[in-house]
Amino acid sequence: MTRLLQATINGVMLGGFYAVVALGFSLVWGVLGVINLAHGELVMLGAYITWVMSRDYGWEPFLAAIVVAPVMFVFGYVLQRVLINRVIDKPHLTSLLVTYGLAIIIGNAVKLKYDATPRSVTTALRGFWPLGDDITVPVTKFWVLVSALVLMTSLWAFLRWTRLGASIRAASQNREAAKIVGIEIGRVYALTFALGAVLAGFAGLLASPIQPIFPLMGPVLTLKSFVIVAMAGLGRIDGVFYGGILLGLVEVYAATYVPEVGTNVGVISSFVLLVAVLVLRPQGLFRGLKAAR
Amino acid sequence: MTATEVQPSQGDTRARPGPRALPAAAALAVLVAALAVLPLVSSDSRLFTMTQMFMAITIASSWNLTGGFTGYVDFGHVVFFGIGAYGTGIVMNKWHWPFLPALLLGAVAAAVFAVLVGSATLRLRGPYFSIAMLGTYGAMREIVRVWKPVTGGGSGLSLPLVHNRPIFYYVTLVLLVVFLAAIWWMRRTQYGASLVAIREDEIGAEMRGINTTVTKASIFTMAGFVTGIVGGLWAYQNTFISPTIVFVEGTTIDAVMMSMLGGLGTVAGPVIGGALIFWLRDVVWARFLDYHLMVQGAVLILVVLYFPEGIVGRLSRRRGAVSLAHLWRRRRADASSPPDES
Repeated sequence: MTRLLQATINGVMLGGFYAVVALGFSLVWGVLGVINLAHGELVMLGAYITWVMSRDYGWEPFLAAIVVAPVMFVFGYVLQRVLINRVIDKPHLTSLLVTYGLAIIIGNAVKLKYDATPRSVTTALRGFWPLGDDITVPVTKFWVLVSALVLMTSLWAFLRWTRLGASIRAASQNREAAKIVGIEIGRVYALTFALGAVLAGFAGLLASPIQPIFPLMGPVLTLKSFVIVAMAGLGRIDGVFYGGILLGLVEVYAATYVPEVGTNVGVISSFVLLVAVLVLRPQGLFRGLKAAR
Repeated sequence: MTATEVQPSQGDTRARPGPRALPAAAALAVLVAALAVLPLVSSDSRLFTMTQMFMAITIASSWNLTGGFTGYVDFGHVVFFGIGAYGTGIVMNKWHWPFLPALLLGAVAAAVFAVLVGSATLRLRGPYFSIAMLGTYGAMREIVRVWKPVTGGGSGLSLPLVHNRPIFYYVTLVLLVVFLAAIWWMRRTQYGASLVAIREDEIGAEMRGINTTVTKASIFTMAGFVTGIVGGLWAYQNTFISPTIVFVEGTTIDAVMMSMLGGLGTVAGPVIGGALIFWLRDVVWARFLDYHLMVQGAVLILVVLYFPEGIVGRLSRRRGAVSLAHLWRRRRADASSPPDES
């Protein structure tokens, strides 16, 4: 029982992190209609920025957000204008292959610059809070979960109540109609992708104190984002949250209850979950605002 | 779409040999003969590169069966290569089987796996199939890493040592030539036309009486079987296999790039694309080894954006060969309608 509770706590915390990873992926897919296979690499970039700030200037990882946000915003904006914009109108397979190529380039560029050694970032917010007998709450992961909730709520509020947020929603619902009512669709797309890149950067920032970061960490995160969005249905922030938690729980339960090789089983289970969800419920577990397209 | 886009491709590819067939056949015969005598004059390292190239082209051609002809773009194709390598490796290492039966077993294992996975994933369309196969590949790589008693886990398996470059050269060459001839012949049969019909309009094909489920599953199984053979050959040649050197994403990327560069959905496409990429790798990229993968990613992007119909597609456009751009316009229509509105 203790074990179950502990695993549940850990799973929810991991799930909160996964939800942030998938957030930008879901936004870009939902609005631009582009499945960004380089999303995990954007997360990795955010993690490396945080690591550099921590190594060179001794910054607290959470503080690095003030560097991560502008850098990722500009990078995302330029990337969209230069490359992603060319594949928006093309079939899905074009965008898949182009972003796949992009993922290879980014991953290997970082590998050349900082080699393949896994890095970690330390934070002052560490240790464990005891919670009853034998159950503890890891402090870092707790703050990661809190940040995840804050990020998700802010994104939701931004989309709901700001003018730009309304434009983004309009662009995702009906591109032609959005143009007719005077929305500059190109600008909205670029800003949305930049926002997605910032969210990915934040996910990387959150990853840096809780797991090792390395240049080729991206592809697995991209696939997990895909699992979560496939479960959530496109265009639902709450769905992303539940999907993330579900994935986190599945992985941690597998790691806890399967002896010895549990961690690997966790990874396997997420891939199996991916294939199963796609085959059994392509429209998502939690019905999306619109079916995945 | 206009009628001119579709009609000639059917009429042309199934036509009787034209006046240019004889010179083309003669040129092919000369090429194969030249390749057959190459080991007499060439160094071992050159033969090794050529062997690697034959294997890569065979994998690309099998990928092209599903990705090019049938329109199901498989992002996890290397999984069949891995299963072939491990099927062969396990029975040779643990049960000391001789190579040929072991190779056959590995290839059959890959084919069986294709049947099982395909029966689930081939129901998916467009990007969903691609991503599901990527997930399948990821899962299998981890399973091989975890299942230590059988696969040796992360530390891998050793196979009996053999050092005979010309043998591998000839075996892979024969496999490639036979496979290409089979594809060329198959493309002209009713079955080959059914594959293209599925790519062009799956529902329409079904309405015309093509059993799309069986057609898709059988071509997918065939692709898995051949890729499994290559995996087994590679394992025996390399004498060592581990998850990190067998289940490599780069193998899938190579197959996709060779097919696209040469011409998707054409018999000669993967051969031309593969030869070009190996030549580039030998001559150009060898000098920038560190940047190798980055260049590969950049080439992929450039080909997809600016050269989507490939070399063969560009050359034979007038004769109505199916271009990638044409194929992907269709896929867009397919993918933009939600898979399930229920």
